[in-house]
Amino acid sequence: METLSPRVSSRGRAEVHAELKLEDETFLTDDFLRHLINVGEVDILVGLPTHNNAKTIGSILQTIQNGVLKAFPRERAVIINADGGSHDGTPDLVTGISIDDVRPASNLYALRTLHSISTKYASSPASGVALRTILAAAELLRAKACIVMSPESANIDSEWVSKLLRPVYCDGFDLVTPTYRRHKFEGLLTTNLLYPMIRALYGVRIREAYTPEFGFSSRLGGQFLNQNNWNDGTGAGAELRFTLAAITSGYRICQSFLGEKEHVERRGADLVPVLRQTVGALFPALESDFPVWSRVTGSQPVPTTGSEQEVRLEPMRVNRKRLREMFSTGVAELESVFQSILSPSTLGELQRIARLGEEEFHYSAELWIRTVYEFAASYQKSVISRDHIIQALAPLFRGRALTFLMENRNSSANEVEKHIEGLCLEFERLKPYLLEMWKSRE
Amino acid sequence: MDHRPLLGEQYNSTTLSLRINLRFALRHRESSEIILRRCCLPLNKDALWYKDAIIYQVHVRTFYDSNGDGIGDFQGLEQKLDYFQELGINAIWLMPFFPSPLRDDGYDIADYTAVHSSYGTLEDFRKLLDSAHERGIRVIIEMVLNHTSDQHPWFQEARSLRDNPRRDWYVWSDTEDRYEGARIIFLDTETSNWAWDPISKSYYWHRFFSHQPDLNYDNPAVREQIWNAMKFWLKMGVDAFRLDAVPYLVEREGTNCENLPETHNILKELRRKVDEQFPGSMLLAEANQWPADLRPYFGDEDEFHMAFHFPLMPRMFMGLKLEDRKPITEILQQTPEIPPSCQWTLFLRNHDELTLEMVTDMERDYMYDMYAESKTMRLNLGIRRRLAPLLNNDRRRIELMNGMLMSLPGTPIIYYGDEIGMGDNISLGDRNGVRTPMQWNGGWNSGFSLAEPERLYAPLIQDAVYGYPAVNVLSQKESEHSLFRWMQRIIAVRRSNGVFGRGSIEFLYPANHRILAYLRRLGKQTVLVVNNLSNSAQAVELDLRPYKGNILIEMFGNNIFPRVGDLPYLLTMGPYQFYWFRLRRV
Repeated sequence: METLSPRVSSRGRAEVHAELKLEDETFLTDDFLRHLINVGEVDILVGLPTHNNAKTIGSILQTIQNGVLKAFPRERAVIINADGGSHDGTPDLVTGISIDDVRPASNLYALRTLHSISTKYASSPASGVALRTILAAAELLRAKACIVMSPESANIDSEWVSKLLRPVYCDGFDLVTPTYRRHKFEGLLTTNLLYPMIRALYGVRIREAYTPEFGFSSRLGGQFLNQNNWNDGTGAGAELRFTLAAITSGYRICQSFLGEKEHVERRGADLVPVLRQTVGALFPALESDFPVWSRVTGSQPVPTTGSEQEVRLEPMRVNRKRLREMFSTGVAELESVFQSILSPSTLGELQRIARLGEEEFHYSAELWIRTVYEFAASYQKSVISRDHIIQALAPLFRGRALTFLMENRNSSANEVEKHIEGLCLEFERLKPYLLEMWKSRE
Repeated sequence: MDHRPLLGEQYNSTTLSLRINLRFALRHRESSEIILRRCCLPLNKDALWYKDAIIYQVHVRTFYDSNGDGIGDFQGLEQKLDYFQELGINAIWLMPFFPSPLRDDGYDIADYTAVHSSYGTLEDFRKLLDSAHERGIRVIIEMVLNHTSDQHPWFQEARSLRDNPRRDWYVWSDTEDRYEGARIIFLDTETSNWAWDPISKSYYWHRFFSHQPDLNYDNPAVREQIWNAMKFWLKMGVDAFRLDAVPYLVEREGTNCENLPETHNILKELRRKVDEQFPGSMLLAEANQWPADLRPYFGDEDEFHMAFHFPLMPRMFMGLKLEDRKPITEILQQTPEIPPSCQWTLFLRNHDELTLEMVTDMERDYMYDMYAESKTMRLNLGIRRRLAPLLNNDRRRIELMNGMLMSLPGTPIIYYGDEIGMGDNISLGDRNGVRTPMQWNGGWNSGFSLAEPERLYAPLIQDAVYGYPAVNVLSQKESEHSLFRWMQRIIAVRRSNGVFGRGSIEFLYPANHRILAYLRRLGKQTVLVVNNLSNSAQAVELDLRPYKGNILIEMFGNNIFPRVGDLPYLLTMGPYQFYWFRLRRV
């Protein structure tokens, strides 16, 4: 960025010295820019972050194309792939699916060209960098409505395109987050922490604030691109910050029910990285958003198309013993860490339940909420390394997850929903506790 | 003077003397007078003249009224021949002028070998023909093969009695059940291809209006009479026929009654006779069909010389609105090769509605929404508007569309009035809104006629944008930057290089889909055409590596552009801009 400082010389003429201060160089490659020039202005942009998704990307792209051509046959559209350095040919599969006068679609009818372009971003795979690339492309192409789709969704449906885009393109919403039909024991971090906490603090009932699939307007995308701090390199948790930015800036938000949610691969829960991406994005946001959330009381629903949430109930094997052991071991081994983070009463209570047998074990909602709020406050004060704070939450979350699993093991869908609602209301009720800690530690 | 070539004739092009092959003349029973008439013409000798033609489509009635009765006529048209020369036109296509009850603007013919009295006499027409030829302008007339007016004496006889000798000149049935596979073409007005004749108490077949009964081409007598009619005009000196509605000549049960082999055989027979007896004449097919179905109409250079490329035209409009070349390139990719002596005929608009028959349902809906929001603008399966109103009178888009018309492979046709951007009047019924009087000046009746305005065959366009005080030939001639002057220039540039009429086409497919770019080649000449279909400035990189070392010379200003090198050739283009470059290796 060039700054100019005028200085009047002895002869009375203004001399201007330009101090050239370089911003970080553009992260968009020349080749990608060339592709964007060729695409030109679009109405619809579909962003697709990838990394080694060759096995599934073909069918996902086909589904996206179907969705775009069916729901928006007349609109100018583009698929933008931000790839994290795939070695399996994923980008070539993406670009090979463009529909134009050189490569007409064999089984689809397209009134106009549908570009599909790919760029490799210059860092290791990171969803935040991919999102930034997509947002930059959306801004340069002046896309009116955008969606980000995940290559990890095994059952993506062409209707998802319409469900996420139409509220933005046709109804003037700025952010569309999905709701799903999930197993009652899926997404426990969402149901036990992210959803109720964001709801309590920000006053908005968004079920999936951290989601790999969402729709957004150019207004929101442009603001987030230009105001967000991308300097942490990875942009971890950018999706969550995106949702929070929409909330705090007063954008119109809605939810759209997409149906069943399945993942391509069921990996073992690698909790700490997930916490870093979610809680590690939420906690810093609380700092910057304090002027907003500190004044919010209660919460409001957002317009939702379809179900807010649907629950599957089929039996699922859970290793209760392992979860309890991880909790108890964590409480014991991290005692000194917890002493820096938690209040003595909260820590004492955790140590008490850690000694309970498997049948008696119960990590109550109130205790869990106080735990989370104390973590948040400690994070704000950086009582220890912030990353250590996030890591330390892992065993405690496992304890809470175990209690949720036990409480709901025989519950119906309505009962599960009631329990989650009860947890949310508790988060809201105890919000003053967080505020008190936040202010008292200032 | 140049003379038209005739088989068996040799002539001295610098004098009027001829050495006529008498045996040829006697064999074909041509009078020396007619031969002289046909030979003393300043037309070029080339048998493929139609490939270099710039055709102007005009209705006699609309152009200029010489006798003050409110209707244009032959003498009026003759007085305006200099206008065509000035514009650069070298062929005119006259819409039907035969005697007719005019229930379909003359396409309902009541006599094939006369002229409608409103337009003058046969002698007037002959004089027009000669005057046109003197100016190097060829004359194409209509021949409606498929049907006649129900007022034609043939039909009047045929219907009078079931055993009348001419009964079998038309297609009759006691029921409406025959030929159920045939579609209805005039959907807005007709509900069936059969009409009940109360006189002969039977049904007759009509693919168009019910007052236009189809001739029965299975009857040799019909074929002979039609040939006699064509011969009549060819002997007079007419250069070509536009044969109307040719796909529908023959019907067969179990088919859609279009493009049947028997139809092609009949047309081939006509062509054979034309070639034998009137070489150098041209047959132009009006067949609104998909490209693959159009190809048979060229035969092996033994059927039509030219055919309208109907499917391309709506796609040019579509590409413009979509700002995407895809519809245009795709239809041309699907267009089959045609024999070397054959030629596509290209047009933007004509006397009919902008037909949307040869598009998909989705494309039709798109075109309606983009170009004919009001349902009153829609007729049958088309849009009844002129070029300028369709393009919102946007000069840049009008120029771009004409640029493509003049540079895509084929012979271009300009619809009368479109060279000055005339408007339309959709409150006139049917397709009459695009057939209003030619606007010559801003004065009395726009200089079209001295008659009282109420007597004009149709009212003049009078709105503030397209009305004749604003849009007329006189004012545009006085302005260097008018559309008329621009059309003059582009026609001149087109005619300066034979590559446009006779060259091949190779599409470039730059990554920027808003750019339609192609190379036209003829021998050693290469022209690069680049069109920006969008309303915003565009950058495009063209792969011209095979032409490395060539200098690009822009053909309108003759200025040189950078030489082609190893890198993609970068061009930046303004909204709706186009370039024609001649490639020159020095």
